[in-house]
Amino acid sequence: MKLVKVTIDGIRTEAEDRTPLVQVAQKIGVKIPTLCHHPLVEPYGVCRICTVEVHMRGRVRLVTACNYPVTDGIEVFTQTDRVRRTRKLILEWLLARCGHVPLLNTLAAEYGITEPRFGRGDDTCILCGLCVRVCSDVVGAHALGFFNRGTTRYVGTPYDEPSDRCIACGACVEVCPTGCITMDDEVEQIRGELPLGPMTAIYIPTMQAVPHQPVIDYDSCIHFKTDACRVCAAVCEAKAIDHGQQDRREEIQVGSIIVATGFQPVDPQKVPQYGFGRYPNVVTALQVEHMVNASGPTNGQVLLKDGSRPQSVGIIHCVGSRDKNTHEYCSRVCCMYSLKLAHLVHERSGAKVYNFYIDMRSAGKGYEEFYNHLLEEGCEFIRGRVAEVSDWAVTPAEQGKLVIRVEDTLAGLVRRIPVDMVVLSTGLEAREDADEVRRLFNMSCSSEGWFLERHPKLAPVSTFTDGVFIAGCAQGPKDIPDTVAQAGAAAAEALALIDTGQVELEAYTAWIDEERCSGCQICVPLCPFSAIEFSREKKVSTLNEALCKGCGTCVAACPSHAAQQHHFTDAQIMTEIEGVLVR
Amino acid sequence: MAFRSHVLVCAGTGCVSCGSFDLGAALEREIASRGLADEIQVVRTGCQGFCAEGPVLVVQPDEVFYCGLKTSDVATLVEEHLLKGRPVRKLMYTPPSAPAPVPKLSQIPFFAKQKLVVLRNRGLVDPERIDDYIARDGYEALAKAVTELTPEEIIREIKLSGLRGRGGGGFPTGVKWATCRQAALHRGVEPVIVCNADEGDPGAFMDRSIIESDPHAVIEGMAIGARAIGARQGFVYIRHEYPIARERLAKALDQARDYGLLGRGILGTKFDFDISVVQGAGAFVCGESTALMASLEGKAGEPRAKYIHTVEYGYKNLPTNLNNVETWANVPLIISRGAAWFASMGSGDVSENPWNGSSGTKVFSLVGKVNNTGLIEVPMGITLREIIFGIGGGIPRGRAFKAVQTGGPSGGCLPATHLDMPVDFDSLTAAGSMMGSGGMIVMDDQTCMVDVARYFIAFLTEESCGKCIPCREGLRCSLDVLTRITEGKGEEGDIALLEEMGAVMQDACLCALGSSAPNPVMSTLRYFRDEYEAHVRERRCPAGVCKALITYTIDQALCDGCHACVTACSTGAITGQVKYPHQLNQSLCIKCGACLDACKRNAVLRA
Ligand SMILES: Cc1cc2nc3c(=O)[nH]c(=O)nc-3n(C[C@H](O)[C@H](O)[C@H](O)COP(=O)(O)O)c2cc1C
Ligand code: SF4
Ligand code: SF4
Ligand code: FES
Ligand code: FES
Repeated sequence: MKLVKVTIDGIRTEAEDRTPLVQVAQKIGVKIPTLCHHPLVEPYGVCRICTVEVHMRGRVRLVTACNYPVTDGIEVFTQTDRVRRTRKLILEWLLARCGHVPLLNTLAAEYGITEPRFGRGDDTCILCGLCVRVCSDVVGAHALGFFNRGTTRYVGTPYDEPSDRCIACGACVEVCPTGCITMDDEVEQIRGELPLGPMTAIYIPTMQAVPHQPVIDYDSCIHFKTDACRVCAAVCEAKAIDHGQQDRREEIQVGSIIVATGFQPVDPQKVPQYGFGRYPNVVTALQVEHMVNASGPTNGQVLLKDGSRPQSVGIIHCVGSRDKNTHEYCSRVCCMYSLKLAHLVHERSGAKVYNFYIDMRSAGKGYEEFYNHLLEEGCEFIRGRVAEVSDWAVTPAEQGKLVIRVEDTLAGLVRRIPVDMVVLSTGLEAREDADEVRRLFNMSCSSEGWFLERHPKLAPVSTFTDGVFIAGCAQGPKDIPDTVAQAGAAAAEALALIDTGQVELEAYTAWIDEERCSGCQICVPLCPFSAIEFSREKKVSTLNEALCKGCGTCVAACPSHAAQQHHFTDAQIMTEIEGVLVR
Repeated sequence: MAFRSHVLVCAGTGCVSCGSFDLGAALEREIASRGLADEIQVVRTGCQGFCAEGPVLVVQPDEVFYCGLKTSDVATLVEEHLLKGRPVRKLMYTPPSAPAPVPKLSQIPFFAKQKLVVLRNRGLVDPERIDDYIARDGYEALAKAVTELTPEEIIREIKLSGLRGRGGGGFPTGVKWATCRQAALHRGVEPVIVCNADEGDPGAFMDRSIIESDPHAVIEGMAIGARAIGARQGFVYIRHEYPIARERLAKALDQARDYGLLGRGILGTKFDFDISVVQGAGAFVCGESTALMASLEGKAGEPRAKYIHTVEYGYKNLPTNLNNVETWANVPLIISRGAAWFASMGSGDVSENPWNGSSGTKVFSLVGKVNNTGLIEVPMGITLREIIFGIGGGIPRGRAFKAVQTGGPSGGCLPATHLDMPVDFDSLTAAGSMMGSGGMIVMDDQTCMVDVARYFIAFLTEESCGKCIPCREGLRCSLDVLTRITEGKGEEGDIALLEEMGAVMQDACLCALGSSAPNPVMSTLRYFRDEYEAHVRERRCPAGVCKALITYTIDQALCDGCHACVTACSTGAITGQVKYPHQLNQSLCIKCGACLDACKRNAVLRA
């Protein structure tokens, strides 16, 4: 790296040879206006607004700072009369084309232009080409291009048709200095979904994520669509981003296992009368949770789909819980999280909040007090199961609103309550794959799919498989404090096992004589403790003595007498029998 | 077989479009039918330069020049001249105001004052036959360059000759070659050479004629350049609208390959070089070096910033040496006759530094209001007067010379006071014009300079690629102001505004199209400012060209009612009884001036 001396407006500095002048100026705080320049794309040098005066070996010339490579000893002036005259006229020319673009007018004011001499045109595109370049050079979609020549040049898509190469990434909208590109309605809809998902394709999953590192969402990352972009890699100073990474399986040898696979929220569409998926402003509690997060997509604001604030919000409890059609159990956490959301929604948006509940279950330390606090806050509580959410207005007050129909069991009448937003407090259910996990660890499940503990009171975190423990919602619905407490218990049990260092086994385990095993695999499914596995390599069954409880099922079943049991070998038993008969 | 006589029929584009192919075929038929086929050969040559008089031919060795021929003249020509040896006077060329036709080519003033270096073979060789070229010492220079000279020696020779780029910029060719060679050696990559045959200037046809009449000169020049620079690959970027030139070039390349003058192991040495022909993308701006290279790469022909030179990073980021057709065509003669011979022609002393003068000759296309239009080659440093009045034969119909526009659309207009100025790179630039690629348009006193400036700005507005703002928007706004002035709607301050826009465009445009675009306005403002002022302040067009500013009237005292104007007027604006003074209805008049031309008594007045 060769360093060269550069003077800009009298300030001396050093820079790497051939660095673009604009970067050097920026570093020392000299402001040079730019329009067609963006750090993510190669300099293009067409707007010429970044013109500056360069003195070099007695030669004076005007150059464009965005792409001029600095060399040793140059002296740069960014505000001479000649420079200002050039920029001023360029701005007047631009206004003659795009007279009402705010950015240009702000710049023009800096150069003392009040009435541009060539009038003001109605176009909005200054043909800086940033959109075209970002689309092809960064995004790699190549959806945009220039058409025609000279004064009739314009930016567009081939044949002026919507381009099927556009991946609706919005990069062009982002870089356009004049704001003249907007997203189409159709496309807007796709993006409309986004505020409730991750904001970008690369993100840290949750604030508490372990490890606290960003992940790339394969489905929305541009690189996996066009093979280009890699903007994240370009800006990552640690050079930590590797788009070539592949999923991989790892085998880890452990002595004990804690199963904490959690739950899944009930799909709100299983309760179709509440209109989720039909009405854009019917959302789930989790989505509102996302919104109220200060670092979330709406910066902590509670917003309707059109971006405005709701005036009234209805929170429906027990969606998918305490219901014969979905789950009969109580999900235990919905009451309290609904109260929390009611409080936050009211606080963030000032909206009137209604809670529709069957029974208020606020058991636990401080919970009832919180409920009382909400009552004082003016939150409305209506007891009764909601019958239906619809947009069918009967009165003018219901026009344009979502109407919640409910039987108020305390007042003894059926009510219609118009609101702007409906929040569904969905219950918890066992994960879809719970049964697979259960089988893997040889555990048992309740009829609802929750993993069963060995004993509800005496062994609440153990399972019927030694060394496998359970914690959290995988075992049954519970809130965070309960989960943490249970997790602590499971960890302690696991540690106790680890701490012994060695486990003493009963001596009467079975074993498999590999010489004899024909590989018929009859024993594998028979073992109630999943202690036998078939080895594809050796083509014989192998037995994990740590898991074997010595029940002898495999020994009895093995047709080739390969499975045998210590202390109970055929020979031993025969001898014992003989001994008995001899007497 | 030796022929008694050769008939050299011009097959340049101009003459072809006047029917010279038919003429040649008719000649051959007639010659054969007279049984002269063994004695007389018909040869088709490239442009002989005097296109305005086409189709033309020369009978050798008598050196008799015939012009404006029709197929119906063939029988007479063959019978009289070729059979009986009596040149046909009525088919010869008569210079304007000369009493009698001039039979010999070398005595016709148009030809006599020219100095043929680049065009040395014009009208003498059949461009489609390499043997013709070789017979006139062709490829001798290449042989010398590959067998006797080192690359450094070739470059030294070119530097010493003072040869400067004929494509417009006038950059010293030897210096460019040396930089390119150095860049390639330094980076350890193979350089590329390119011949710029895009020739987009309206009315210019120098490069086309060179390729059409002597393609091997360009090929030989490029091969020598390749040897000097170290290139193995060359391109000719040729304008799409030049089918004949392209075809001849392709034939010539094939022949050169057959003769081992291109391809692998040229002339039995280890030197490999070949040339591909690439068709231009059809825009004026594609002649600009960076745009040309973008176009060569298959991208849109748009310029880029040149802070990084193309001799270092050009075509596909390889060091690329671009020269104009005429520049390349000069190279073989410099190598075979020596730098000193070349430097002895032209102006200034280039022995120390090529920037100190302009050596050699320059080909111009002389057009406009001049008696002899056509393609000419003159030594550098000749005065404008010698070109326009000596070779060009002055202004037609005895009108006064007003200005000459040089350098193509973005050149400048020089007034009569500059007629004795030498024509070379630096004088032209100092006078606010430029050499350009060699267009020369002569204008008489019936030309409005504001209108001329408007015309060129309109052309450039069309041709601007539109990439950078000062060129695209600056040209559009300049055109608006100029149009306003020619329509009589000019405002006080418009002239200053034009000057300001011109200065900023010169400073700020991305490529030379834009930065030289103000030249037509700036030079006419410099030399003909009073005309602008007359338009703006007095609403008057002194030359009587701008329609919005003129009115035609009929002088009732002079009009004798001959009715000639009534017949001439296409809108029926003039009425009147025969033998009585006529009337002109202004609301119908479209100011075409037909009446003015028709009136024999000068009774139509223009004001
Ligand atoms: C707008 C524009 C058009 C040009 N057109 C041509 C052209 O048609 N032919 C040409 O030889 N050079 C043309 N040039 C000049 C070339 O950019 C370049 O300078 C030249 O080809 C270099 O060759 P030389 O050094 O032999 O002159 C043009 C330049 C500009 C700015
Ligand atoms: S649409 Fe915007 S980004 Fe694209 S060229 Fe026009 S001004 Fe530039
Ligand atoms: S100066 Fe004109 S031709 Fe050259 S890049 Fe700019 S717009 Fe294109
Ligand atoms: S920012 Fe430099 S030319 Fe546009
Ligand atoms: S084309 Fe025939 S003289 Fe030019």
